[in-house]
Order: sequence, then C-alpha cells, then structure tokens
Amino acid sequence: MLEVLVLHALFIFLGGSGMDDYSHWKGYLAVMNEESLFIQSPYIHEDIIVYGPDSDSTTMAIAGIQYMHSKGHLIESIHLSDSIDARTVFLATGADSMAHNADLKFGDVAWDLLGGDEATLVVAKCNAQSYDFKAPTDVEIIDTDFFKDMNEAWRLEQEVHHVSQGAYVSTSQYLEGAPARLSLTSQKIGDRMIWPPRQLDENGLRIPKESHTLLPEAQVESWTKLSAAGAPSEFSLRAPILGGIQTLLVRFEQGPRGVFLVTDDLEYSPKIGDTVHFAVRRIYAQEGMIRYGLKALPKR
Amino acid sequence: MLVHLGRVMVDVAVIGAGQTKYGNHQLGLKAMWAEAAENAFSSVDKDFEPRQVDEAFIGSVAFGGAQLGNTAALLTEHSGLDGIPVRRVENACASSGFALRDAWMAIKSGQADIVVAGGIEKMNDLSPERKRFWLGVSGDTEWERLAGLTFPGTYALMARRHFHEHDSSHDDLIHISVKNHMHGFENEHAHIRKQVSYEKAESGFMVADPLTLYDCCPTSDGASCVILAADHVARQFTEDPVWIQSSGAASDRLALHDRPSVTQLIATQKASKSAYSAAGLTANDIDLAEVHDCFTIAELMATEDLGFAEQGQGGVFAREGRGVRNEGSVCINPSGGLKSKGHPLGATGTGQAVEVFKQLRGTVEGARQVRDAETALTHNVGGSGATCAVHIFGRERNG
Repeated sequence: MLEVLVLHALFIFLGGSGMDDYSHWKGYLAVMNEESLFIQSPYIHEDIIVYGPDSDSTTMAIAGIQYMHSKGHLIESIHLSDSIDARTVFLATGADSMAHNADLKFGDVAWDLLGGDEATLVVAKCNAQSYDFKAPTDVEIIDTDFFKDMNEAWRLEQEVHHVSQGAYVSTSQYLEGAPARLSLTSQKIGDRMIWPPRQLDENGLRIPKESHTLLPEAQVESWTKLSAAGAPSEFSLRAPILGGIQTLLVRFEQGPRGVFLVTDDLEYSPKIGDTVHFAVRRIYAQEGMIRYGLKALPKR
Repeated sequence: MLVHLGRVMVDVAVIGAGQTKYGNHQLGLKAMWAEAAENAFSSVDKDFEPRQVDEAFIGSVAFGGAQLGNTAALLTEHSGLDGIPVRRVENACASSGFALRDAWMAIKSGQADIVVAGGIEKMNDLSPERKRFWLGVSGDTEWERLAGLTFPGTYALMARRHFHEHDSSHDDLIHISVKNHMHGFENEHAHIRKQVSYEKAESGFMVADPLTLYDCCPTSDGASCVILAADHVARQFTEDPVWIQSSGAASDRLALHDRPSVTQLIATQKASKSAYSAAGLTANDIDLAEVHDCFTIAELMATEDLGFAEQGQGGVFAREGRGVRNEGSVCINPSGGLKSKGHPLGATGTGQAVEVFKQLRGTVEGARQVRDAETALTHNVGGSGATCAVHIFGRERNG
C-alpha cells in the first residue's frame, strides 16, 4: 500500500490498481473522488513516482487546479506548500494564495493543495478528511541515467551564477510577459486577437491591455528539432541529454501564431496539421529562478 | 541625375573595395579591419588617401562582446581615418548592408563627398560556451529564443512550411548548396573552398530538421570595406567606377510567428521593389546577384522575393540550375555566397558589394567572372528577415 502523507488529511492508495478513473491531463494522470483530485506524474524511477524532464510541483499544481476548473470547481484561493511558486500558480490559474497575497487570511482560503513525498499532489477542500485512490497502471519507467543527468542539469542551471550567453531575458522582462506566456492572455482590437502582447498599433495608438484569453488549442504549421550544439545557451545543459530540442510553430484557432517547445521531450513525431494543446512547464532557470511557460503536447 | 525637392541629387559611385579572406582568422579586430581598409584603399585606380574621406559607417553585430561601445572609432583610428564622424551600424546580419545604405544617403544628401562603408566580425576567438553568444542573439529573445529557437531552427520552420505549401523539397536545397560551393571554390577570399557533390550534401548531419550541415553557412571572421564617392569627384579617383543605381531597405516583424507568411520575407520584397523602382529596372535586368543565403532555404525564398522566380517556384528555379554562373538566367551568388564564401555577420553586406564591384569591373579570378555583367544586385538580410537592404549596381549611372 502506498501512502501519501499530506498536511491536513490522509489520502491512501489502495493496493489494487486500475486506470478506469484516471485521465491523462496535461501530461499527468488525474483522478477525482467527489470534490477531491489526485494528480501524479506518469513517470516511475526505482518504484518511486518522479517528475518528468520539465515538470515540478509547481507545474503539476497548476495542472491540478486547471483540472478542477475544467470540472466546474472554481478555485479562487488555495493553500500552497513552500516548494510551489505561488506567483506562477496565480498567473497561470488565477488561484491566489497566502504566499502570493499577504492580504489573504487563512480562514478565507477554501482549498488545500497537498504534496506527497513522491511526484503526487492532492487538491481538496480544506475540510476534507480522507479518500482512497487506486494506483494508476499507465505509468512509464524512466531511464536511470537520463533521470539522474536531467536532475543534475537542472540543479546546475538553478545555481545563482548561471546566466545565459548573448541574449538575456531579465527577471522584470520575464515577469512582464508571464501572463501571456503562462495563460495565453491576449489583446483584442475589433475581431482581431493579438498574442504575444504588443504596444502601439499601426495608427500609433496604445493597444489595450490583455483582456481575453486564447483557447489553449492550436494546429501545427511547421516544426523542427534543433541539434544540441545549436541550442540557445539557456538549454545548453539539458539539450545534449535530450538529444536536441523540438519546437513547433502553431496557429491558434483565433488567429495568432506562436512557437513552443514540446512538453517533457515526448517521443512525438509532429505532422503539419496536428492539433496540440498546452501545459505549463519549466522552460529554463537563470540566476536561481525557474522561468515557467507553456509547452505543447499532442492531443491524445 | 535625380532632382529631389528642387535640388539636384548626386549619383554615387563605388571607387574602391576590399576585404580580408573570410574564415577562422588569427588576426585580431584592428588588424582585420586594417587589412580590409588597406585593400580597399589600394584598389582605387588613382591617388587616394584616407584623409580625403568625410565620414564612415561600419557594420558589426558585437564581436561577441569584445568591443560593444565605440567600435567604429576604434577601427577608423587604426586605418588612417582619424577625426571624421564615424559610427557603428547594427542591424544583425544586415549591419553593413545598412552601413552601405547610410553611406550612400550621406552622399545623396550632399553632406559628404567621399564616404567609407564597411563591416567586420570576429566570431571564432570565443570559448565554446561563449560562442553560444551568437546563437539566436538577433531573433526575438523573449518569444522565440525561449521556445528554443536559434536561426537554424527558425529557417528550418520556414523550410518545412515551404515544402508543405509549394513544389519544393530538401533536394532543391541540396542543389543550392552544391552550386554555391562550386561558385566559391575558386574564390580566394572564401571561407570554405571546396566543391561539394550532391551525394555529399545529401548526407550531412542534421542541424535543425530538415536543414543539415550543408544547408548552413559557416561561422566566419572577416572584414570588408568599400569607398563611395559623389559623381562630381568620382573621376578624380577612377575612370572605371561602379555606380550604385539605387538602394532599397525595409523591415518586418522580428518574430517569425508575428508575420503573415513564414515562406516569404516581406522586408526583402519591399526593399527590392523600392530598389527596382528607383533604378527603373526589373529582376530580368539583373545579371548577377549576391543573395543572403545564411541557409539554403533563405536563398530559395530570396529568388522568389527578389523576383527571379515566381512565388512558390524557388525550388524549381534551384532544381533547374537557373542560378548557375554563365548557365542560368541570372548568376546567384557568384562569390559562393554566405554558404561558401562565409558569413562574418557585420561584414557580409559590404562584402557582397566588394564582389559586385570586382565582377562589374571584370577583376575577379578568371574562372569566376560572370560574362557580360552590366547590372548587379546585393541582398543583405538581418536575422530571419526583420531587416533587409537591397542595392543595385551598374556600369552605367542611373537615369
């Protein structure tokens, strides 16, 4: 029996397993039990559930909250553990937390996000007691060398002195673009959606701030896989382990185009015309700060 | 002779041009620039002294950070151009194409009679990690680079889409690679002087799918320099000037995904339209063109955007060998282009002008001479197409 210890409640895996209730959600496995969600990484290393190459507790927390939103459970505020980047969660989902908003009072927060020792999370109402979840079977064993090399690369990348060569995105510039990068917020002029955000229009007038959101689904217009040697320095530690990095040029249904990396370095051979959707993942780290953004994953 | 706002506008001649060999140089920045300038000065037919120069424009991207500020002053100081107004021009790989345009405009405006336009880049003296400085440094940093794109990737996206939309394939790109290596083989200034067979080019390792090593230009060091003169002083220096018949330039959205099409460079179309119009010429009048082939797909698209082939027919153009020296309808990249001659970013634009100057005066190595060359075009692109400068040169004065 696999136990997931949490802050306020006990969630227990039953010894049996089955996939009936689990759904694939943004690269994770998710299952609901009444108003509670259990979400986990699909990767296993030495019998332990581990995060994939570009996932962490923040990205899975975002996926979990988004799952709840998709099921009609609006999470306006949530308790988060210290390991989760509360600002990124807020920008990606709108769910506030005491770690992000000092004015928020403990008693006003209705939801908990509870982490386990492994790459598992539970999203539940604060008054939840305990629920049982069957362990999923649709998991993938991750190669030991790959797992260790990726973790070491991320560790090095997150060191404070790690700064990219050449082009450089400052922290303030990253944060300025974060809403559009994390949740596809876009501007609108008439019927035209604009993403990523722009400043002035052809008439020299200020384009209104982002007030709409692009539907998180797009079609592949082109793609490439860049060899490790040709990758930007932000990816120079991980690209050789991944055997290169794969980028898609996609067009959203509402018009704008964008370029996105592929989630978790999936074994995916894209074709022009494929439909993809998006999940928040780690993009790279610089000066001790992980920068998050959307990556594409093929629609199953 | 043009008349603008009631004032007579002068014509502009190239009276001298020179460059270093492109490649992996042992020379430092100052020595490389001095060599290019010296070659340009000595190419002037009659007496010429650097002190006669009124102004200088020097293109460079950044030397990997070696001299980010006051670059031009450092270089002119070492080439006898003391005391004149100078500045660095930066438009990524089109830096010296725009330096040439600025120099042309300085004379056109009547503010100067003799102007130097040049370019320089030192790319190979960096440590392996520092060399990544060059990767994607001129794309949209925030939205392209952080999606893993450097220029091989950006052009790969264009290539795959072109193959999808039009009658083109990677085979057509191989024809371009083979042609440019053939053209550059006898160019004493070329970085990669070797012929490449179709089979060899077909077997290159993948850099950015579908582009292989043989689709990508090398990383080069080099410097280039041209000397321009107003019509009323040009004959003091040569009886055989090459005239700049027109200059066109344009810009486009920086990021590929922000453009209406990823298989056309709108900046090239606008710049060439402007240049053709000002010269009273069409693509059919061009005998040779130095085209910005940082990647083979860039040349394929340029042949369309410059009007040598219909839109979507660049693959057929390449396949049928219509850009081959003295065989096709127009010679594309007689120097070997960026693919063979090399691509020292900031030096490339004026380096193209050096080749055209020599071709139109009939002074290139014999085997490389384009027959009956009267009119030529240079096409210099910044990054993935955000900036573009097109110049048309002729043996005759414009108009």
